[in-house]
Amino acid sequence: MTASSQGGAVVTRPTETAPPPAGRPPFSRRLAAGLAFDKIGAVYVWIAIIIVFSIWVPETFPTIDTAKQILNSNAITGLAALAITIPLAARVFDLSFAYVMTLTGVAVAKFVIGGMPLGLAVLVGAGIGIGIGLINAFVVVFAKIDSFIGTLATGSLILALITMITNDTPISDVALTGGFADIGQTDINGITLPVIYFALAALVIWYLLEHTATGRRLYATGFNPDASRLAGVRVDKLRFVSLVISGGIAGATGIVLASTLGSGSPTAGTPYLLPAFAAVFLGATQLKNGRFNAGGTIIAVLLLGTGTTGLALAAAPTWSQSMFVGIVLIAALAVTGLQRRTAVASRGSGVHGGGVSGTDQPGVSTSTNLADED
Amino acid sequence: MSESGAPTGVVAAPQRGPNGFALRVSGLSKTFGATRALQDVSIDVRPGEIHALVGQNGSGKSTLIKALAGYHHPDAGAAELDGEPFDIGVEVPDGLRFVHQDLGLVLELSAQDNLALHGGFAKGFGGRVLWREQEQTTHELLRRFDVDIDIHQPLAAATPVERTVVAIAAALQGWHGGSGLLVLDEPTAVLPHDEVERLFAVVHEVRKAGTAVLYVSHRMDEIFEIADRVTILRGGRLVATKDVAQLDPRALAGLMVGEDVDPDYRAPVAAKPDAPIVLETRSIAGKWLRGIDLRVYEGEILGIAGLAGAGVLELPYVITGHAPRGDRVTGELRLPKESDEWRDVGDLKDVNIPLVPSDRQREGVIFEFAVSENLSLSILGRFGRRGKLAHRQEERAVEEWTRRLEIKTETPGSLISTLSGGNQQKVVVARCLATEPDILVLCEPTAGVDIGTRVAIYDLIARLSREGLTVIVSSSDEGDLLAMCTRIVVLRNGTVAQELDGDGLTQQALVSAIEGGD
Repeated sequence: MTASSQGGAVVTRPTETAPPPAGRPPFSRRLAAGLAFDKIGAVYVWIAIIIVFSIWVPETFPTIDTAKQILNSNAITGLAALAITIPLAARVFDLSFAYVMTLTGVAVAKFVIGGMPLGLAVLVGAGIGIGIGLINAFVVVFAKIDSFIGTLATGSLILALITMITNDTPISDVALTGGFADIGQTDINGITLPVIYFALAALVIWYLLEHTATGRRLYATGFNPDASRLAGVRVDKLRFVSLVISGGIAGATGIVLASTLGSGSPTAGTPYLLPAFAAVFLGATQLKNGRFNAGGTIIAVLLLGTGTTGLALAAAPTWSQSMFVGIVLIAALAVTGLQRRTAVASRGSGVHGGGVSGTDQPGVSTSTNLADED
Repeated sequence: MSESGAPTGVVAAPQRGPNGFALRVSGLSKTFGATRALQDVSIDVRPGEIHALVGQNGSGKSTLIKALAGYHHPDAGAAELDGEPFDIGVEVPDGLRFVHQDLGLVLELSAQDNLALHGGFAKGFGGRVLWREQEQTTHELLRRFDVDIDIHQPLAAATPVERTVVAIAAALQGWHGGSGLLVLDEPTAVLPHDEVERLFAVVHEVRKAGTAVLYVSHRMDEIFEIADRVTILRGGRLVATKDVAQLDPRALAGLMVGEDVDPDYRAPVAAKPDAPIVLETRSIAGKWLRGIDLRVYEGEILGIAGLAGAGVLELPYVITGHAPRGDRVTGELRLPKESDEWRDVGDLKDVNIPLVPSDRQREGVIFEFAVSENLSLSILGRFGRRGKLAHRQEERAVEEWTRRLEIKTETPGSLISTLSGGNQQKVVVARCLATEPDILVLCEPTAGVDIGTRVAIYDLIARLSREGLTVIVSSSDEGDLLAMCTRIVVLRNGTVAQELDGDGLTQQALVSAIEGGD
């Protein structure tokens, strides 16, 4: 241990005397860039949708009540979407989150009926979510099973557990109407608590992804795990943690959902599987050029929620809502995919173009191509 | 330097087409962004000849092959095959067949399935595959190459040369010889030395049927063994096309390396005979390596040379603790400046020896990230205040390194994909240097980098070495190693075969050490 001081550090750290960074571009330019269609296209689409429905159903749509209803009825979808945002940033799928939601809802309902104090029941419920996150993480990171398949499998196991507990009948009891119901049903001026939870969770995830080193490393892991590993990023650790976090958020969301429903339904979480993924993927096309991010997720949840609510108010056929979600998702990804491809085509070398979309999943062993040359 | 005129008639092949060439490409140019990958390149391949195409990394040979294969649309140029003009980069005539470096095989499938994927399945009523017939076709296709291979086994179980043969057979399907051109892109890159002969037999077999072969390689010995003529590219330009009989290895090496990089240029690094050891290894073994003992001295630039398969590309990964997961590596490593303890190379997690990887696209650059994000990735932990990333500090560090390495980027926030290959490489080097290491390991540092940037990278490394950094460079490019290194260790078959330093560092000595020249 004699030495790093002595001739060791060759390259000196940038000092305080370093010239100040060249000024950021002027505010007007940054504003223009921030409002560009390829950044927040969904916001313009959202505004367009609001205008269309305001004309289509002028009596019921453009009201404060409708706005509140859109928020209240989409907060759970938003929370579910935020749960999978972090693993997806690291390109890890968590397909089990919807079952985790159901399981914790059912479990906490059971606990409360069984007389467990509410606070403890909620803690244990969240613990169950984290526990399942740990199991997912072991399956994906240590057993090296592709996350898509691995969490599909654990999801099936959770479903088995749910059926075992509930015998496929909803759990309801007068005990669920008291403090338990307050978790999700309390409203403040027409805004229910889940909306607040959604906003807080989004804030935390935004901070994590944008303003911490961990967030940057999560994205790096997702985009190019090999390069990240070589750069010293603990790729496996991040994938592990991301699944634990999604388990925890999904677990908490499940409790809130059960509270809003006032019962422990054995199918409560399943309907959120597709809308949550739709919102996250649509969100990734917004603000951050293909990065899964909290702000984009909020925009996406609001856009999709406004569209479906508007269609319901306009008494459009019920199938139109699913159709709306599908069309928006395909359109958004097609448009951004097109931009991505043009960006790829203009890449410097072009020789190895493409192939960088980071399909590497934890399950696939990434052999370094030692023998490749040129 | 112009084309060698005198046709010596090495190959007595029938004249075909109005001009008697199997393939004729003229005036081919292609630019990628700011990089001129090909400038007015012409090449003629005679019917039935084996024509070698050589050049260093970044010489444009890959681009030329990819243009022929229809992947790149050239900016200018004309081409004809067997006298028939074709729109190069857009259409690929039937007589032009390719075996790419990665062979284009699906290793999970059998030889039979792979051949059928290229040539189509024998199908009966209702799309049913006629397996008996398919099997027969497969045997027929492989028979002429004299390989004994279980056509129902997944190709993952086959040897590299067997896979290469299947790839060649797949490429030549539905073609009865007598014309056309087969392009073999570095077919021996992954072959062990003793299997190369078997591949040559196959290549001769193809030529015997009257098909010309364009043989891309940068192994000198192979070119002299198999090729009739050779075309040399350098920095995207045609240097010459010569009869192999008129050349010797030294002359060919001279043509490849050129005058831009003086073969006698030596990095301005003073030898320090009494410098302390900063890294020492003991019997390192792995997939290719068979027991490597190395001593690396402070401030030197140590080159690792050798053919692919000798372990040249494995060693850098092993000593930096980045051996591919699943590969078993054994051996020990010691960093005397930190402690005298010998450490297992299988567990070097907390050792700071950054690696500039060989495949920048796959392992170096994160294309979705900005220049700044790529640069700061390894040192993010420094910009923290209780977990919060201090963006201002990060910006400052990025500015500093961008300036020190003269990285040309519009703004630090630009996507890294907007940079030229050389500048992308500089960003990766900057990322490594930012961790303030004592030792830096580079693997193929000039791959896909144009000649100007190449010299800039040499100078950069020499400068860092003068400042006290110890550098280990592994490269398959002799020119690189000679220009940069103060000492070169040559690997053969996974062991240290020879060590060159001082006056022994000559092109000839290096080439013959690498080839195992006796």
